[in-house]
Amino acid sequence: MITSSPALEMNEVRKVYSVAETEVVALADASLTVAQDEIVALVGPSGSGKTTLCSIAGGILSPSEGTVTVGGEDITGYDRRRLTRFRRERVGFVFQSVNLVPFLNARENLLIVDEFGRRERREAKLRADRLLEELGLSDRAANLPGQLSGGQRQRVAIGRALMNQPSLVMFDEPTSSLDTELGSQVMELIRTEMKSRGTSAIVVTHDDRITHFCDRTVGIVDGVLAA
Amino acid sequence: MIFLALAEMLRAKARFGLVISAIAMLIFLILFQQSLQAGLLTSFVGAIRNQSAPVLVYTVDGQRVIQGSVVTPDLEAAVRADPAVAAAGRIGQGTFTVRADGERFDTSIIGFESPALGAPTSLLRGRLPELGEVVASEASAASGFDLGEVVTVEPGGYTLTVVGLARDVQLNAGPTLFTPYDSYVEAVRSVNPDAGDPLPNVLGVSPVLGTSDEQLAATLNEISLDIDALPRNVAADETPGVAQVRQSFQVIFLLYGLVIPCVTGLFFLIITFQKSRALTLLHAIGASSSRLVGSLLVQALAVVTFGFAIGVALYTPVSSQRLGGIPLRFETEAVIVWGVVLLVLGLGSSLVAARRVLAIEPASAASGGSGR
Repeated sequence: MITSSPALEMNEVRKVYSVAETEVVALADASLTVAQDEIVALVGPSGSGKTTLCSIAGGILSPSEGTVTVGGEDITGYDRRRLTRFRRERVGFVFQSVNLVPFLNARENLLIVDEFGRRERREAKLRADRLLEELGLSDRAANLPGQLSGGQRQRVAIGRALMNQPSLVMFDEPTSSLDTELGSQVMELIRTEMKSRGTSAIVVTHDDRITHFCDRTVGIVDGVLAA
Repeated sequence: MIFLALAEMLRAKARFGLVISAIAMLIFLILFQQSLQAGLLTSFVGAIRNQSAPVLVYTVDGQRVIQGSVVTPDLEAAVRADPAVAAAGRIGQGTFTVRADGERFDTSIIGFESPALGAPTSLLRGRLPELGEVVASEASAASGFDLGEVVTVEPGGYTLTVVGLARDVQLNAGPTLFTPYDSYVEAVRSVNPDAGDPLPNVLGVSPVLGTSDEQLAATLNEISLDIDALPRNVAADETPGVAQVRQSFQVIFLLYGLVIPCVTGLFFLIITFQKSRALTLLHAIGASSSRLVGSLLVQALAVVTFGFAIGVALYTPVSSQRLGGIPLRFETEAVIVWGVVLLVLGLGSSLVAARRVLAIEPASAASGGSGR
């Protein structure tokens, strides 16, 4: 979706969890702006708050404080139902570990996004086939995730994240389960797909070797962002 | 949600096939036992339920067993004189040894004074009997009691010719013959020449216009403490042993009623646990909880429907068979009732799994957990 607003604006976002009567600050007053067509690498060690930030930006979690605006849409006060709809229509996700529905084949894993969303059916089928072709998976369209290699599964997940034509895609450790060469290929693919669509992305990683595929790198330690 | 539900079912044919088979087997067993219960009760008291007298008058001493009841002349006179009685007729019943087609059978012979008060309500074939003739229970036709066969009461050698066949008129699960009262008396005398004039076991009575069967039974019970008048269906249901048989089957059906939700509920709970990571992912990428629950219910509906259809398909050919001397029959009402019960229990029990789906947190997808 092309708008004049930044793809993401997070202002003074704070996320606090209560664990056994103790408050744990996962994200401390984080402010981050991602421009349209920009790919931002979010780098930090395990437990630094990368995934929490990404989850808040994608409407999976709600912030304890602060505001979140995605493509001009302020989602800060959204309830569960509106957040679900927002995720369905406005953003894409590639998660670290759980990415594909095991009983759906590659093509169906893409089409399921349309089933839960706009239900354009014919257009969706064309888009799914086109994405699979772009990702080099046309001959694997009928394969179940269990019949695909790690790299192929990750490519299917990228295709699924792009099915709803989002303005912002969150990639959480997209290369963590891949070797260096395959990881580079996947990152190259991500960059190509994002740039060809003018789509913004946040790539969460703790691997410095892949940050050069991104336009900008933002560090995070103990829930605090450092440019 | 249909897309998701059917895709999973197609990819997990063995898993869903097994639960469908389990439900089909349960439905088959339930319906088979419904037929067995109906057949068993009909073969025990069908002769009472499907005879023409609307009200039967026993004596209390008979404890609602026709053969154990003996109506004395004074009680008979009192019943016949009651203004609520339109007509009354003697009914006698005894168990005789009858030779048919070269074999001996313990056979119930029921004598009726009036065809409107004790004969079978309808005939499958043939006609109502006259002196020396009988209508036989159709269930025994193949044993030498078919139309045109001559059977012999032993000892004594009194012969009876089968001129009619009636369905569901057995008594005590054996061959049953309906004959005019005088023929019944002849049969008694042929076995026991010293019997004299046997007293009727029960009286068949019908009410005057404007009086119901229940009202007539109540009125007659007021005449004497020795009288036990019962409407036809009540007499059949109150025959000793009937309630116990029915109760036993009801316990079995209750157990089946508990097993069905356990099978469907646990199945869907297990697969919900097994695919919780996939459900979490779907929720995280924008599938609403209602869609995911809808998909689950579509699967539950499909499982129940297929299981039920296969169960009925298995039951249909079996329901036309005979189990020993007990004829089975397709119980349409039971099929409908159990269809509804299965649907309600199946869908109801899968709501437990639905609650698990509703509790899924999409954030678990980001943290790598399953949400549950």
